[in-house]
Parts: sequence; structure tokens; C-alpha cells
Amino acid sequence: MTPLVMYQLVAIFLFGIGLFGIVHRKSLVGMLICVELMLNGAGLSIVAASMLTPAPDAAGQLTTLLVMGLAAAEATLVLAIILVVVKRFGSGATDAITDLKG
Amino acid sequence: MDTLIVAKALFGLYALAVVGGGLMAVFAKSLVRAVVGLIMTLFGVAGMYLLMNAPFVAFMQLLIYVGAVVILIFFAIMLTKAPAGGDEVKPTPARQWVLALMAALIPAMVLGSMVLGSPQVTTGQPVEVSIQLLGKGLLEEFVLAFELISVVLLVAMAGAVLLAWKRREEG
Repeated sequence: MTPLVMYQLVAIFLFGIGLFGIVHRKSLVGMLICVELMLNGAGLSIVAASMLTPAPDAAGQLTTLLVMGLAAAEATLVLAIILVVVKRFGSGATDAITDLKG
Repeated sequence: MDTLIVAKALFGLYALAVVGGGLMAVFAKSLVRAVVGLIMTLFGVAGMYLLMNAPFVAFMQLLIYVGAVVILIFFAIMLTKAPAGGDEVKPTPARQWVLALMAALIPAMVLGSMVLGSPQVTTGQPVEVSIQLLGKGLLEEFVLAFELISVVLLVAMAGAVLLAWKRREEG
């Protein structure tokens, strides 16, 4: 196995376990943690695909920086949304949030 | 030849950190322990960036993820007053296990078969890109993406403040 394939397999593992966690977790914060896992897998895959192939190296690194910025923005917004949900429903558990319009 | 063995050993170590941290982040009963698992995964991924000769990305990984995103998640845990264990202690029904496994395995297997099945051109030794070159790329070739991400961050910040503000007025 070439190094590229090994890095890609680690990235796929991160993606898969993140997806598993999103379905498995029962609270909003736990789901946020799993989204971060998936985004990390994406970043690892992008950097591996640019550094270990003839593709331009700088483009891959900058794309991963873009993904990190998006992850930071997403975490900020999700934190605010979780605060509003906890205020309205009194808990961050996903099975307690059943109303569409309250 | 020695460096190759060291690189393989380091890759194994980092892969262990990524896998162990990922499992901990998903299966830990307490959310704080899950965050600790996430931090372990982040360090493992940063080590892999270093192995791929991309030290700038590794540094940014530590700065942005461990420094900012993880702190945000800790804030989320504290502000939602999740009791230790909390919502995660309830046993998961078997049906949800099956669904979660299916949701994870089907895309992972499709992607894995694609990676393993297609021949890939790979270069031997990754060459480090200087920070000057990365900065030049941000200001010349990829300037649109660079400006757009700053707008996205600004909008996210404003949106978060707006949501939190409303919450205080109602309460």
C-alpha cells in the first residue's frame, strides 16, 4: 500500500466514525463533536491528495485552511443555536426537541 | 532507509491516536471525555500533516481546532449545563445501532473501494511549500476564497451574537 492510500484510509475512518456518531449520539453537543471529526477527515484527505500526488501543493494546503475556517464558523453558529434550543426546550437532548413551531 | 522506518513508526503512532481518539469521541458516556477524545484525534491529524511535510497546516490545525473550536465546544457543554453523563447515559436501542452502523458503513465502503480499486499516481517525497508561497497564493490566485471565508466568519459571528441577544431579551 502506498502512503497515499494509507492516509486516505485514515481519512475515510474519520468520516465513517463521524457519520456513525451523528446518528448514535443523543445530544446536540455530541453531534457537534462528530461533525468536527468528519471535517478533520476531509482536511486530511485533501492535504494527502495534494502533497503526495503531482497536484499543486499550495492549492491543497489552502483548501484545508478554508475547511478549517468553515469549521470554526460552523462551530460558532451551532453553539448559538444550541443555546437557543436549550433555552426553549430546557435540554439539549435530540429526542426532547419535537416541536416544529413553538 | 532509517528515516523510512521512523516515518512508518510515527505514522502508526498518529494513526493509533486518531483511531483511539475517534472511538473515545463517539462512545464516551461523558461529553467532556468525548471532547478529550476529539483533542487526541486533532493532535494525531496534526502529526500526520507534519509527516506530509506541511508544517503550516499542522500549526493551523492546533491553533484553530485545539485553540478555538474545542474551547467553543467546552463552552457549549458548560452553558447547556449537561449533567455529568447526562443525555448520553440512556441505553441506545438496537434499531438505532443498526441504523448508525449502516449510515457509517455504506458511504465508507463505497469510498474505500474507490480508493483501493483505482490506480493512483503518487510521488515519493512530499516537498514543503514555503509560507511565502502560501501567502502569495492567498493574495493572488485564491484571493476570492480568502475574502469569502472572511465574510463567512463575519456573518457567523454576527449571527451568533444576534441569536444569543434574542435569548437574553426573552428571558
